Amino acid sequence: MSFSLGAMAQTDDVSPQRKQAIDSLALEKVRDLSKYISIIGDKETAYSEANRVMDRAEELFAPDSEMGVSSLTTEEVEYYKVRKYFERLMALNYDNVKISWYDIHYISDLEKQPDGKYVGVVTVYQRFEGTSDDGLNYKDTTKKDITIYVEKKKTQISGRTIEFWDVMLGDIRVTETSS
Amino acid sequence: MIRILLINLLICLPFMLPAQIVQEDGSTRDESELYASTKQVNQFFRRFNGEEDQKGRRFYEGDKEFREVSLRKNYITLLFDRENESIPSEQKKSFIYDVTDKRNPKFLDFHEEGWFAEVNAVFSRNGQEENILLFFKIQEEGKGYEWVLEQVSSSYYQQFFEKDESEEKPFLHPMSHELDFMNLHKSLRQENAVDFTADDFEVDPLSIFLYEMASKQIQFKTVTGSKFHFFQCEGWYFQIAEYNRKGYNSGWLISDLIPIKKEDIPQLKAFIYEAK
Repeated sequence: MSFSLGAMAQTDDVSPQRKQAIDSLALEKVRDLSKYISIIGDKETAYSEANRVMDRAEELFAPDSEMGVSSLTTEEVEYYKVRKYFERLMALNYDNVKISWYDIHYISDLEKQPDGKYVGVVTVYQRFEGTSDDGLNYKDTTKKDITIYVEKKKTQISGRTIEFWDVMLGDIRVTETSS
Repeated sequence: MIRILLINLLICLPFMLPAQIVQEDGSTRDESELYASTKQVNQFFRRFNGEEDQKGRRFYEGDKEFREVSLRKNYITLLFDRENESIPSEQKKSFIYDVTDKRNPKFLDFHEEGWFAEVNAVFSRNGQEENILLFFKIQEEGKGYEWVLEQVSSSYYQQFFEKDESEEKPFLHPMSHELDFMNLHKSLRQENAVDFTADDFEVDPLSIFLYEMASKQIQFKTVTGSKFHFFQCEGWYFQIAEYNRKGYNSGWLISDLIPIKKEDIPQLKAFIYEAK
């Protein structure tokens, strides 16, 4: 459960201040995802540990979220369920995986969808570098467009009803931008 | 003049300044390229309207810089695909001057009519891949908004609607009704049924598409690209497409621009829908 700080007002509107708090929370989740991807993709990570991290990573996502993967060489998008994407990443089995972030992100406006939840997109650039002991080296820069769902939820704490804004990650489009 | 140069410099400087990333192999990738890229369609809107700074931080109504004219002029100049030489520079200037005119500025609005998406999608028919263009518009729905399918375009469908317009065209003679249309069996077995339609018949590819999806004659496979058409700036039509390339001119950029009269809009829309 995640709380967006300072975002406990009673109305459903997203003020600029509240949007900033939600943006920070969304970025925090995206960064967590990045860390998890790094661990899952590293050969040094034990199988059981990778599975545990995959479970944690899956918790960041709304149900049925998918990764849409395209690249400069194939314009066709391939879709993987998030879990499947992680499993594929693990199967790549690099001896060393380095994932670094450009200090750039772009967060869209939040738009209300028909069910009342807000939806937005966070764009980040990620540098992936995988090295194998036999000298094989794979590098690319990927642009990730990550759907975020923002919803006001209620919980009971010591008999009091507390409202909070929760952020879940949704579908992700990954585009390879350069090697 | 000096003021304009200074403003230009201030606009471009943040794109130039961020540190270059030095990679382990010694090569560098300029982070400023990623700042310069118009990363989302949403960002295209904000840049066009002058609603964010160079690092993507949002200006809100009441902020001094919000929709500031010189900021907009510079941003919109950067929003054109510079490799596209089919848009005359005078036309670009005229467009920028018009949409940033202090007396009657023109802005883009996500929720308003006057823009739509064209999505190039791949479907499978009898194991064969087939491209169908899907056109979506934004519609208010429930507590918010949704993209809805407005039209489709398919070359596969078009082949069935080539109507014979000649004097020798097949027809049902005007006394057919007296024979309980018994001549239909000859006509419809041998001829193309479209030849028997009225002059005002118009093909509705969307209905055919929906029928084919429902009857599973085609199955969706993937999307290979999308672009957006804008009619929101009175007097102009422009199109944006995504350019995934190195350099400072990348992301969502204006790929087509033409001046257009209001009365010509339906014709141009029909032209786009038919993918001509």
